[in-house]
Amino acid sequence: MARLELDSVTKRFGDGPDAVVAVDDVNVDIADGEFLVLVGPSGCGKSTTLRMVAGLETVTDGEVRLDGTRINERGPAERDIAMVFQSYALYPHMTVRGNMRFGLEESTDLDDEAIDERVEETAAMLDITELLDRKPGALSGGQRQRVALGRAIVREPAAFLMDEPLSNLDAKLRSQMRTELQQLQNDLDTTTVYVTHDQTEAMTMGDRIAILDAGELQQVATPLEAYHRPANRFVAGFIGEPSMNFVETTVEDGALTAGEGLVYPLAGDAADAVAGASAVTLGVRPEDVRVSADGDPADVASEHVFDATVDVVEPMGNENVVHLTLPNGPDLTATVDGLRQIADGTDARVGIPAKAIHLFDRDSGEALHNRSLDDAEMDAPNV
Amino acid sequence: MLGGLFGRSERDPDDAESDGEQRSRPGGEQRLRTDGGATASASAGTDASILTRLRRSEFVESIPFWGPPAVLVGIFVYGAVAWNLVISLIGWDGLGQPEYTDFSLAAYEQLLVDPSFTSAFWNTLILLLVFTVLSLAVGLLLAILIDRGIRFENTFRTIYLLPMSLSFVVTAIFWAWMYNPRIGLINTALRGVGLDVLTTAWLSNPDVKLFAIIFALMWQFSGYCMVVYLAGLRAIPRDQYEAARIDGASTLRVYLRVIIPQLGASTMSAAVVLMVFALKAFDFLFVLFGVNPGQSADILSVMMYRVAFDRLQWSYGAAVATVLFAMALSVIGPYLYAQYRRGEL
Repeated sequence: MARLELDSVTKRFGDGPDAVVAVDDVNVDIADGEFLVLVGPSGCGKSTTLRMVAGLETVTDGEVRLDGTRINERGPAERDIAMVFQSYALYPHMTVRGNMRFGLEESTDLDDEAIDERVEETAAMLDITELLDRKPGALSGGQRQRVALGRAIVREPAAFLMDEPLSNLDAKLRSQMRTELQQLQNDLDTTTVYVTHDQTEAMTMGDRIAILDAGELQQVATPLEAYHRPANRFVAGFIGEPSMNFVETTVEDGALTAGEGLVYPLAGDAADAVAGASAVTLGVRPEDVRVSADGDPADVASEHVFDATVDVVEPMGNENVVHLTLPNGPDLTATVDGLRQIADGTDARVGIPAKAIHLFDRDSGEALHNRSLDDAEMDAPNV
Repeated sequence: MLGGLFGRSERDPDDAESDGEQRSRPGGEQRLRTDGGATASASAGTDASILTRLRRSEFVESIPFWGPPAVLVGIFVYGAVAWNLVISLIGWDGLGQPEYTDFSLAAYEQLLVDPSFTSAFWNTLILLLVFTVLSLAVGLLLAILIDRGIRFENTFRTIYLLPMSLSFVVTAIFWAWMYNPRIGLINTALRGVGLDVLTTAWLSNPDVKLFAIIFALMWQFSGYCMVVYLAGLRAIPRDQYEAARIDGASTLRVYLRVIIPQLGASTMSAAVVLMVFALKAFDFLFVLFGVNPGQSADILSVMMYRVAFDRLQWSYGAAVATVLFAMALSVIGPYLYAQYRRGEL
């Protein structure tokens, strides 16, 4: 039961002009029982942020608060948090029971019986009772993962910190554990900070996601909000797979121009958003790009339809990823239904619906305009 | 059949996997040959095929590689050990030639009633245990201190390891000066801080003699323990420390409960080296005391030399050597067995 606040948290390694800023002025407010996912590419500072919360790194500037109390100066033992490591960090010389008991023995005054009871309970919850007397070396990757979770859960901490806990599992087990972990977090209702570089995990698991890049917080939002209303170009490109198409354009007479092949007239809100701007990046998600082999795609205004050549088709089963080239224009990626037949090298007509486009300032990367969600049945973003 | 027998008997079970690949090639050839020969000389071919198999067996083929060293080690190590055992049984004294006629256990019976053997035996055991335990403890402490990311880490590591590289003759003389009752550094330092009561003739006082030697040897060997432990500590991932800290353990408890228990393999290999050294710690004492360190510091290796080469009681000396050999075996044996159990042999 805890609310975790990061207030202008900064981490610098080294001193003076050589200092490396790993985390730069990060503000996140994590509500009690919330599942927050910290996501970003390698080296973006997400693990450092987590380690500062854990007390394994000192905080250079700013404040980490747990339930309103500053915990910057407390050691990891005094923070009432539990952490799951990427490598699991199980103690190899202890049995699973020993591993799970260790934290309780070191951090609480519980007597042996109470500790045993807690361990048995947690083991039953995670379905690892039959592993209790084995050593970590005799467990499979998935079992170790469960034990590592058990070791954190058994302590009943105020907050869980998880550092890429699923990245050492194979794909199938990972998606299974993803669901299980969410279920578990729902049942326990413990505040959780989860670090990952995998945007699928971020999208599927988090109540909210915090996207970091180069130590700076880009956006904190619900997964759908980050997907549909990215705050900037980085978030738009990072969230979603295959990632969003970006076309560098200039604004000429109320239309976006990228070479001769693409002239995209704007109207309404979008036109207002680019008023005064000259260099704009047009973004559109692959699933919004309409591809038609014969005639213009329906439901796209004719001025937003272009000629294109199909370069490569990657069949995924449920969908085809189609890589397209516009003559004298940019390359685009589109996803279409898996049952549609599209051959490499054929000509097609490509439509970019006006209500699906995102516009970003080319210099700052800030979003100028996001797609309209008139047709979406989506809960209003709860920010 | 014979070839197959040889090939199998020689092979170590652990090597079977790696051998399998190499074996399949000659095996395939072999099958071709025997198939070809089977129709032509089915009855007359038995002798020839045994020869062929002998020639083709891996055992015979590999003899040039392991044969010469095996013969040399067999003669000069195991042969010498066996000869020593024989000499201990024949009651050979003085300058004459040994006569291999009467065999008796007289030398061993003499050992049991000889007070100087009893004291040397106990001194050897004390040296073995105290020296090993102290060196391991100091080495572990140094390794942990150095592993905590201190400044000038490499320099300290070199300084601690340096005594190991010195000859025992050098360190023995060096420590003789250190322990000198009048001008030695240790007594001078003790007097300097007003602890005159503690000053003593370190290498003459029978109460402290053995421990003075143990301390000097520890100084020389704890650096080695440090290096072994440091390698063990470096193999433990950082997140073990972090996980234990988050689990609420203090630094001391992290080491006691999580880190040191994982150093079992390091402890074992360092302990075996130290114990075997302690058993044959001859040169250090010989340089300090000659053949007669006195009852309080006498150890079996010195006694063995004294009895054999000073008093020319060859058989008695050989009996002492056999006891030392048995003690060394009892140190090495369990270690080898443990290694075997872990599949490292």
